[in-house]
Parts: sequence; C-alpha cells; structure tokens
Amino acid sequence: MADSIQTERDNSPDTEHKPAESDLSDAELLELFAGHGVYRDNAAQYRGRLAGQLLINRCADCDRYHQPPRPMCPSCWSFDVVPTPVSGRGTIHLLMHLHAGPPADGVDYQNEGHPVVVVELEEQDHLRVTGTIHSFGNREPSIGDAVELEYLYRGGAPIVAFRPSTYQPSQPSQPSQRSES
Amino acid sequence: MARSMKRSPMKDQIAIVGIGSTGFSRGDRSPLSLALEASTRAIRDAGLTAADIDGVVATSEAGAASAPFLVASLGLTEVSHHSRPAPLIMFSLLDAAQAVFAGAADHVLIVTPVMMSSWNSRRAAADPWRRGARSTIRPIPEDAANANAYATWAGRYMHEFGASKDPFARIAINSRSNAAANELAAMRKPLSFDEYHAGRMIRTPLNMFDMDYPADGADAFVVTTAQRAAELPQPPVLIHAATTGVVGENTEDQLPSLKRHGQHVVVDHLKARSDLWIDDIDVFYPYDGFTIIALSWLENCGFCEMGGAERYLAEHWNEERQRIEIDGRIPVNTHGGSLSEGATRGTGHLREAVTQLRGQAGARQVEGAKVALVTPGGFFFNSQGAILRSA
Ligand SMILES: [Zn+2]
Repeated sequence: MADSIQTERDNSPDTEHKPAESDLSDAELLELFAGHGVYRDNAAQYRGRLAGQLLINRCADCDRYHQPPRPMCPSCWSFDVVPTPVSGRGTIHLLMHLHAGPPADGVDYQNEGHPVVVVELEEQDHLRVTGTIHSFGNREPSIGDAVELEYLYRGGAPIVAFRPSTYQPSQPSQPSQRSES
Repeated sequence: MARSMKRSPMKDQIAIVGIGSTGFSRGDRSPLSLALEASTRAIRDAGLTAADIDGVVATSEAGAASAPFLVASLGLTEVSHHSRPAPLIMFSLLDAAQAVFAGAADHVLIVTPVMMSSWNSRRAAADPWRRGARSTIRPIPEDAANANAYATWAGRYMHEFGASKDPFARIAINSRSNAAANELAAMRKPLSFDEYHAGRMIRTPLNMFDMDYPADGADAFVVTTAQRAAELPQPPVLIHAATTGVVGENTEDQLPSLKRHGQHVVVDHLKARSDLWIDDIDVFYPYDGFTIIALSWLENCGFCEMGGAERYLAEHWNEERQRIEIDGRIPVNTHGGSLSEGATRGTGHLREAVTQLRGQAGARQVEGAKVALVTPGGFFFNSQGAILRSA
C-alpha cells in the first residue's frame, strides 16, 4: 500500500494557518471543523487531516476499505477497523459546480461556480471521497481525470481538495470479492 | 442473500377513500393551518367525521406537527395507531395501509404538509417565521449529499450515456404543460425549450428548471379496508402493490453505479408483487424532485433502456400539447409534478393518481383511467412505488 502523502508544501502560504497536528481536545476538534459533520466515528479522519494524511477506515480482518467511516466493517462485521493512510490518488467520478451555497472563505459561486468532486480512490473500486479541486489552469476538469490530494486550508481547517495528477494512475487493486450468496 | 418470498397478502385489500389538498403556493400560513385544512377536507371527502378517525400518520417534515398534536388539533376522541414516518409519501401510505391491514385502526388519516425552507429563496430567507429551521453552523460547500447528489449523478449520467440536456428539458416542459390545467399548482406558466436552456444554473449541470418548485401546502389522505370503502361515497382506489427500497451501499457519493440503486429495488419488488405492470397502466407519476429522477424512473421502470430516455422522450412527445404521451396514450405527471405543482414530496403524485382513477380530474382527466403507477423518491434513501387501481 502506498505511503501517506505529505501534501503540505514548504512554500505553501497557508502553512502558518495549519494547526499543530496534535493534541487538540475533542471540543477543539469540533470547533475547528464546525460545519464539516464531525462525530465520534469520523473524528480520527479529521485528526489525520491535521497531519496531512487522508485516512480511510480499513478492516484489519478482511482488508476492505469502506466509506464513510463506520465503527464496524460492513463486509465481515469486524470491529477491528483501522483508519489507514491512503495515497490520495484517484480519478474524478462525479463532478458539479455550485452556483449558490453556504458562504465560505475563498469560495466563489459566481461565473463557473465552485467545483465539487467525488474522487474514486485507486485503493479499491467504488471507494470515494468528496472535496473540491484546485484550478486545472487553462482547462476545465472532467469526469475520468486523474487527480491527487492536496489539502487546502480554510480558517485553519484542512479541506479535501485535488489537483491534476502528476502520477500515472495504476489499475485499481482487486480486493477480495464479497461472497455471492 | 435472502430473496423475496413474493408474498402480497395486502394486494387490493386497502383503499384510499379520502383526499384533501390546500393547493400549493408561496403563502403566509403555518404548516399546522395547512395540515388541518387538508385533513378536514380529506375526512369530509371520505364521507367520515372526526369520530371515525382512529389512526393518524403524520410526516416528520421540518416544521410539521406530530401525530399527537394533530389528534388534539382535530379534536379526535382517541386513536389506536399513530406514527411519524420520514417525508416522502409512500413511507406514510405504507404505514397507514399496514396499520389498517393489521387491524390496528380502521380509518387512518395521513397528513403531509410541506413548507419552503428559509434557504429556498431570498423572500423565504427574509421571513422571520421560517428562520427557526436554520442552523447557526454553516455547512461546508464540499458536499455531495442530498440535493447536491442529483447534480453530481446527473453529470455522471450524461457522461456515461452521452446524453444532452434535451431529455431533462422535456421532463421540465411536460411538467409545466400539465400544470397549466391544475388549479392546485403553484407554477402554471408554460415553459419553452429556449427558456429551459437559458435557465439560471444552480448546480451545474442542473439549472433552476431541473429542481422542484418550493411552495407551501398540504395534502391529506384517508385509508381504510376495501370492504369498508365500498360503503363510502367516493369511488374506491385500491392499493394493488406498494413498496420502498434501498441498496446496501446507498450513501450518495458511494453509490457503486447508476445501474443498481433504490429505484431498481422498488421496480423489482413491485413487479414481483403486482399482477399489473407498465403495459397495463393508464397514467404514470414518476417523482420529479429533480428532472434526473423522473428520467431515471422512466428508464428503470422499463419504458426504455438505460440511457435511452433522450431518444424515447423525443419519440413519445406530443408536439402540439408540448408533453410526454407514452405510445400516444399514457401521460406523465398530469398534475405538473413537483417541478410545477410544488415540492410536495410525492403527495401530489399520489393525490393526482387517486383523482384520475376516480374520474374526477376535470380538464386533465385521462379517459377511462383504471391503473396508475406512482414512483416517489430518488436513488438513495427514499425510493418507493405503488400500483393503484380503481375498484
Ligand atoms: Zn472486514
């Protein structure tokens, strides 16, 4: 499995806003990510973001990932579920542009609108995360584009975001199939 | 996996005997006021009184009164069944029908008010009476759930099948053309292809005409046994088959594929339990909270293949009336659907189906309508359907 990627570049202008990955209390975590929908079962994923990681719950017994984070593996009912760093690489599966929505720093609903993407990760078929995308420069992003994670920071909170991939995406791995019965 | 035993003991045993509606508009009444008007209309329509109602099914729609509060507000003596299912009409209809079928109550009232929320329009946001529902915590924009999900999957549909916006336009235009003859509808102006395509984008690829029309209003229904229905004044409309359905992986952004979601489960279960299917129906009421939902019901019910709606709707289009007529015979959402009558959560689809099967639809009446297919709900967590027939 791929190592977690360190997405924060040294020269990032947002580095100073990045909270020390750390020892935020639960109350501080909830405050930092207010509006993100943090609850007990996904708190580890938000703590992972503060360390620049993308964590996806993976079952220690059957190796399957699942989303959104749950306390039990839906495939084998194991409670031995581990928030596991993934590559952050994948392809755009769903794409839309919002022309209205909740006010948020740096979000422009005018003109082309604010892009929201659902990216299918290379680790497993149909395993997806939702976020936004950084500018693709002189072209529009489209479904099927290879992308990779690069967090953006809003009010000090890392937001899932993607940029065009610098990698050649590999074939999705074929994890153990669910038994047909 | 355990598969259906295909039992349908409730088939044709439960009847809808009363309907009442306030109509839908951008008004200034409370949800309780609307709910009580619809309720009393439905009970009177059924030829019943407060003393006959011994079950109340409320909806858990935001701002809607609970069943016990409605019992008190309607001055009912006491009830032996009450519940508060999720919004979208089939959850309520099934609960009421099953309560009657099980003998828990004899005449169950279903009450389903809807209110436009404060975020539906600038005017609604300025209305202090609607502010209560608004959270002080702002959600983040990067969300593919709920309404956003239909924009993302509409884009996926267009990508996979090479579809244009043309079939979406036909769903929206059909809705307006039909709403023109529905005095209960909030939006009755006709819509042209040019107007549709010039519509303000809300969530690309969906524009303002792809979304249901926010409005206030309420519908109510009374259900009882088919036997009792025969003694009541209205032509009884029987619930031939009804179901709800979800697939296992139903979170909006994790749905594996457009090829298998709640609509497919509903279709399979309806077909397994019904003696009647799409060749037998006279009217069709696919939910249209978003245009993509109605398009998908059309395909998934089997009128055409997946991705075939663009061609199919063009072929089954009545140019003169600017509406869909399947095989020149089956109109679709004769009341204007949620896109034009108002965002009724499917109550309008059910009420119009009952009205048509009673033969009481006036200028909208489909001659000799005997069987209706009603399919409320979208892809993820509220897909549902029913086949209704006249007795
Ligand atoms: Zn497992």
